[in-house]
Amino acid sequence: MTDTFLLLLTIFAPLSGAFLLPLAGRASSRLRGALAFIFVLIPFALSAVMLPAALSGNPPSMKTSLPFGLSFGFMADGLAVFMALVSSFLGMVIVIYSYGYISHSENQSEYYMFVVMFIGAMMGITLTTDLIFLYIFWEISAVCCWRLIGFFREKEFVRRADKAFLITGGGALLMLGGFLTVYQQYGTTDLTVLKGREISSVAVTLILFGILSKSATLPFHSWIADAGVAPSPVTALLHAAVLVKIGVYVFTRLFAVNFSMAEIWHTAVPVIAAVSALLSAGAALRENDIKRIIAYSTVSQIGFILLGLSVGGELALAGGLLYIMMHAISKAGLFLCAGIVEHSCHTKDIREMGGLAKTMPFTAAAFFLCAFSVMGVPPFGGFFSKYMVVNGAVEAGSPWIAAVFLFAAVMTILYLLRVFAKVFLGNPRKELKPKEGSRVMVGSVVFLAALSIISGLVIYYPAEFVQQIVGQIMQK
Amino acid sequence: MKETLLLYMILFPAAFGALAFILPSKSRKRGLPAALLLGNAVNLGLNIYAYGQESAFSRSWGGFGIDFSLRLYNFSGFILICAAALSFFVAFYTVSLSKDKDYNRFLYTGMLFTSALVNGAVLADNLVVMLFFWEAILATMFIMIMAGGKKSYKTSVKAVIIAGITDLCMMMGIGLTGYLAKTLDMQQIHLPLNSWGLAAFILLTVGAVSKAGSMPFHTWIPDAADDAPTPFMPFMPGCLEKLLGIYLLSRICMDLFEFEHGSPMSYALMTLGVCTILFAVMMALIQRDFKRLLSYHAVSQVGYMILGVGTGLPVGIVGAVFHMLNNAVYKCCLFLTAGAVEKQTGTTNLNKLGGLGKKMPVTMICFLVSAASIAGFPMTNGFFSKELIFDGAIESGIIFYIIAAIGAFFTPISFLKLGHAAFFGKPTKKTEKVKEAPWPMLAPMLAMSVFCLALGFGNSFVINRVLQPVLHIEEHITGHTNWLLVGISAGLLLLAALDHFRGFKKTGKGIESADHYHHAPVLRTVYNMAEKKYFDPYEVSTGLIKNYGNISLKINDGISWFYDVFIVGAVEKLSGLLKRAHNGNQARYVIWILGGVVVIALLFLIK
Repeated sequence: MTDTFLLLLTIFAPLSGAFLLPLAGRASSRLRGALAFIFVLIPFALSAVMLPAALSGNPPSMKTSLPFGLSFGFMADGLAVFMALVSSFLGMVIVIYSYGYISHSENQSEYYMFVVMFIGAMMGITLTTDLIFLYIFWEISAVCCWRLIGFFREKEFVRRADKAFLITGGGALLMLGGFLTVYQQYGTTDLTVLKGREISSVAVTLILFGILSKSATLPFHSWIADAGVAPSPVTALLHAAVLVKIGVYVFTRLFAVNFSMAEIWHTAVPVIAAVSALLSAGAALRENDIKRIIAYSTVSQIGFILLGLSVGGELALAGGLLYIMMHAISKAGLFLCAGIVEHSCHTKDIREMGGLAKTMPFTAAAFFLCAFSVMGVPPFGGFFSKYMVVNGAVEAGSPWIAAVFLFAAVMTILYLLRVFAKVFLGNPRKELKPKEGSRVMVGSVVFLAALSIISGLVIYYPAEFVQQIVGQIMQK
Repeated sequence: MKETLLLYMILFPAAFGALAFILPSKSRKRGLPAALLLGNAVNLGLNIYAYGQESAFSRSWGGFGIDFSLRLYNFSGFILICAAALSFFVAFYTVSLSKDKDYNRFLYTGMLFTSALVNGAVLADNLVVMLFFWEAILATMFIMIMAGGKKSYKTSVKAVIIAGITDLCMMMGIGLTGYLAKTLDMQQIHLPLNSWGLAAFILLTVGAVSKAGSMPFHTWIPDAADDAPTPFMPFMPGCLEKLLGIYLLSRICMDLFEFEHGSPMSYALMTLGVCTILFAVMMALIQRDFKRLLSYHAVSQVGYMILGVGTGLPVGIVGAVFHMLNNAVYKCCLFLTAGAVEKQTGTTNLNKLGGLGKKMPVTMICFLVSAASIAGFPMTNGFFSKELIFDGAIESGIIFYIIAAIGAFFTPISFLKLGHAAFFGKPTKKTEKVKEAPWPMLAPMLAMSVFCLALGFGNSFVINRVLQPVLHIEEHITGHTNWLLVGISAGLLLLAALDHFRGFKKTGKGIESADHYHHAPVLRTVYNMAEKKYFDPYEVSTGLIKNYGNISLKINDGISWFYDVFIVGAVEKLSGLLKRAHNGNQARYVIWILGGVVVIALLFLIK
C-alpha cells in the first residue's frame, strides 16, 4: 500500500500539481514559485525515501492489470531511482535559478506549470513498467518541451518549437510502432512480463528512432541547436539535464535491463554514437552562438553516454550511468552560465564578447569548473565517467571505437576552451556593459560548479551507487 | 609510520592553496606570500620526514579496481623530496620577484595546488589515481599561465590542449594496461611488449614524455616563456614537469612493462631522445630572448633523459635520473637568473641587455655556474650525468652517441652567446643603472649553484648511495669510467669556445656570435620554416581541425536543411497536390469514389 502511495505521489504530485500553479499565480507570484519548488521537491524527496528499498533487491512496485495485455504499473528499482533523483534534483536547482531569470517575463504561470509538469512526466517515464504508459509520459514531456521552447512566442521561436516537437514526436510515433511490434510478438506491453525476451530487429530499429530523436543524436539532433531560443533554465533543463537523458534512460531500461537484442546492435549503436559525437563536436568548434555551441556539445556528450550504455560490459555501463549524472550537473551549469552571460550582454555571439571574467568572476569561475568537468579533467566528476566509458569500450573489445571517442574528447577540450577564452578572457569589449547576474542565478551556477568538483572528489559514493545499479542490471 | 601521513602530503599544500585563494583582498598583500612560503615549508618538512620510510595507504574509491592507493617507497620518496625542495626555493624567490603583482593570487594558488597534485601523482600506486592527480595539473597549469596577462590565455589554451591530448592518450593507455594486466595496481603490473601491450606502452609513454616536455609536445613551452608569469618557468617546465615525466617514464620502462635493451621500443625511445636533444638545441641557438632560449634548453635536456632511460641499461637509467635531478637544479637556477635580470632591467630581450656582469655580479656567478653545469663542464653535476648517458648511448649504438654529442656541442655555444650578450659587453640603456637583485632572490640562486657543484663533487655518493638503491640497480656505476668519452666531451667544449670566439670576432657582438648557424645555407631555410611554425604540430593541426569543424558544420547545416527546407517543402508540395485534387468539382469526387471502390474490390479479390 505504501509502495503504491509513494510511487503514485512521486509521479502525480508534480503532474497534477502543475495545474495548480496558474491558480496560485493569480494569488501571488511568491506562492507560485514556492509551490513549483515544492512540487519538484516532492518527487526528489520520495525518490530518496525509496532509495534504500530500491537498492535492496526488493524494489517498491505496484501493478494493476488492464485489458488487452496492458498494465498500469510502476517500479522503483535502482536505475529508476537513480534517474529520478538526478532529474528532480536538477529540476529543483533550475526552478530556483528561474526565480531570477524569468522574473521579468510574461506568462510566468505557464512557464512554471510546464516545467513542473515536465518533471512529473519524467518521473512517469522513469518509474513506469508498461510500454504504452511510457509512450504517454514521453509525449507529455514532448508537449511541455514544445511550449517551453516557444515560450517567448516570437514567430521564429514558435517555428523552432514546432520543429523540436515534430522531430521528437515523429520519432516517438515510430517508437510506438516498435512497441506495437513487441505487442504483436508477445501479446503484452508489460515490461515485467517481457523481461529477458529477445525482440525483433524491426522493433529495435523503430524504438531506436524514438530514442535517438529524443536524445538528440545524429541525424535527429537538428532540433536541439535550434531550441536555444528557449529561456536558459529551460535549455538547461531540457537539453542538458533531463530531456535528452530520457532517450538514453529508456535505452538502458529497454535494452540493458529488459530486452535482449541481437549482437549487431552492440556495434551499430556505438558507431552511430561515434559519428554523432564527432560531427557535433566539429560543429561546436565552429559555431559562434554560445547556446548552440553548448547544445552541439550536448549532442556530442550524449554520444559518450550512448557508447557506455550500448557497448556492453559492466565498466562501460557504470560509466554511462555516471556520465548521465556528471554531465547533467556540469552541462546544466554551463547552460545556466550562458544564460547569465546572455542576460547581461544581450547577445549570444561569442565574437562580441571578451574579458567578462573581470566583471563576472563568479560566473566565469563556475563556467570554468563546469567546462573542465565536461572535458573530463580530474578532479571533476566528469573524469571518472569519461574514463569508465572509454575504457569500458576497450574492455568490451572495441578499442577502435574507444580511440574514436578519444578524438571526440580532444574536440571537447578544444571547443570548450575556445568558448571560455572568447567569452571570459582577453580584452573586455567596451560596448558591452556586463554585470554579474542576480544572487539566485549566480548561487545556482556556483552550486552546480561546486557539485561538479565534489562529485569527483568523493567519487566513492556515486560510483558505489552506480555499481549497485549495474549489479542489479547484470543479475537479470 | 602512520599511513595518513601520505594523505597529509597531498592535503596540506592543497589546503594552503585553498587558503591563498580565499584570502580577502585586504589581507592578500601579506597573506599570499605567507601562504606560499608556509605551504611550501610544510610540504618540504613532510617530505623530508617521510624520506627513507615506506608506507602504503589504500581505500576503495571508484570501484572497478580503482582504489585510492598511495605508496611511499624509496623512488617516490626521492622524487618527492627533490620536487618539494626545488618548489620551496622557487617559492622563496617568487615571493620577492612577484611582490604585489596582480597575478599573485592565481599564481600562488596554482603553485600550491600543483605541489599537492605532484605529490599525489608520485605517491599514487594505482594507475587511475595517478592519472587523477596527473591530469588535474591541466587545470592548475591553465590558471597559472593565464595569470600572466590579458594575452597569455592563448598560450594557456595551447598548453592545456597539448597536455590534454597526451593525457587522454595516457588515459587510454591506462585502460589498456589495466585490461591486459587485470589490475590497476602499479606494483603488480609487468606486461610484455606485444600487440596491445605495445599500444599501451606507447600511449603511456606519450603521456610521460610530453609531460617532461619532449618534442613534438613541447611547442607551448617557448610560448609560455613569453607569456606566463616568470616564476612559472622554473616551477613547471624547469622542474616539476621534468621530475614527473621522467619518474613515470622510468616506472613504465622498469616496472610496468618488460622493456629491454636492444628492443625496437628501446630504439624508438632513443631516437625520440636524440631528435629532441638536437632539434631543440638548434632552436635555442638562434633565440634572442633570455627566457625563450632557456625554454628550448628545457626541451633539449629532456632528450638526454629519454635517451638514457631508452637505452634500457642500468648506466643509462641511472644517468637519466641523475640528469633529471641535475637538470631540475641548474635549469631552475638559470630561470631564476633570467627572472632576476627581468626584474632589475625590465626586459629579457638580449638585444637590450649587456654588461650586466658588473652590475649584477652574484647573479652572473650563479648564471655561470649553472650554465657550466648544463654545458657539461667537467666537475659540475651536468658533466657526470651526461657522461653516464653517453656511456649508455654508445653501448646502444654509435649513432645515438654521435647525435647526442653534437647536441652537447651546441649547448655551450648557445650559453656562451647568452652569457656574453647579457652579462658581458657594453651596458645598454636598460642596463646602465641597474642594481643587483635583492637577497631573497639571490639566496635560492646561490643555493642552487652550490648544489650544482656539490652534486658534481659528490657524484659518486649520489650515484652509488642514493640513486642505485632508489632504482634497485646493483651493478657498480661511476660517473667517469670511459676516459675516451670524457676526452671527446672536453674537446667538444673547447671547440664550442673556439666557435664562439670566431663568431664574436666576425660580428663584434656576443648576441650574434652564433648567427653563422642561423644563416648557413640549408639551415637558413629550415630555420625560416621553423619560425613560421611549420613544424609546430599544434599550429599545423589547428588549421586541419578548423577545416574539420567547417565540414562538420556543413553536414549539420545539411541535416538542418533536410528538416527545415526539404521536409517542409515536400509537405507543402504534397498538400498542394491534394488541395488541387479536392477542388469542389463534384464529377471529380465521383471519380475518386469509384476509384476507391475499385481499389478496395481488388484488394479483396487478391486476398
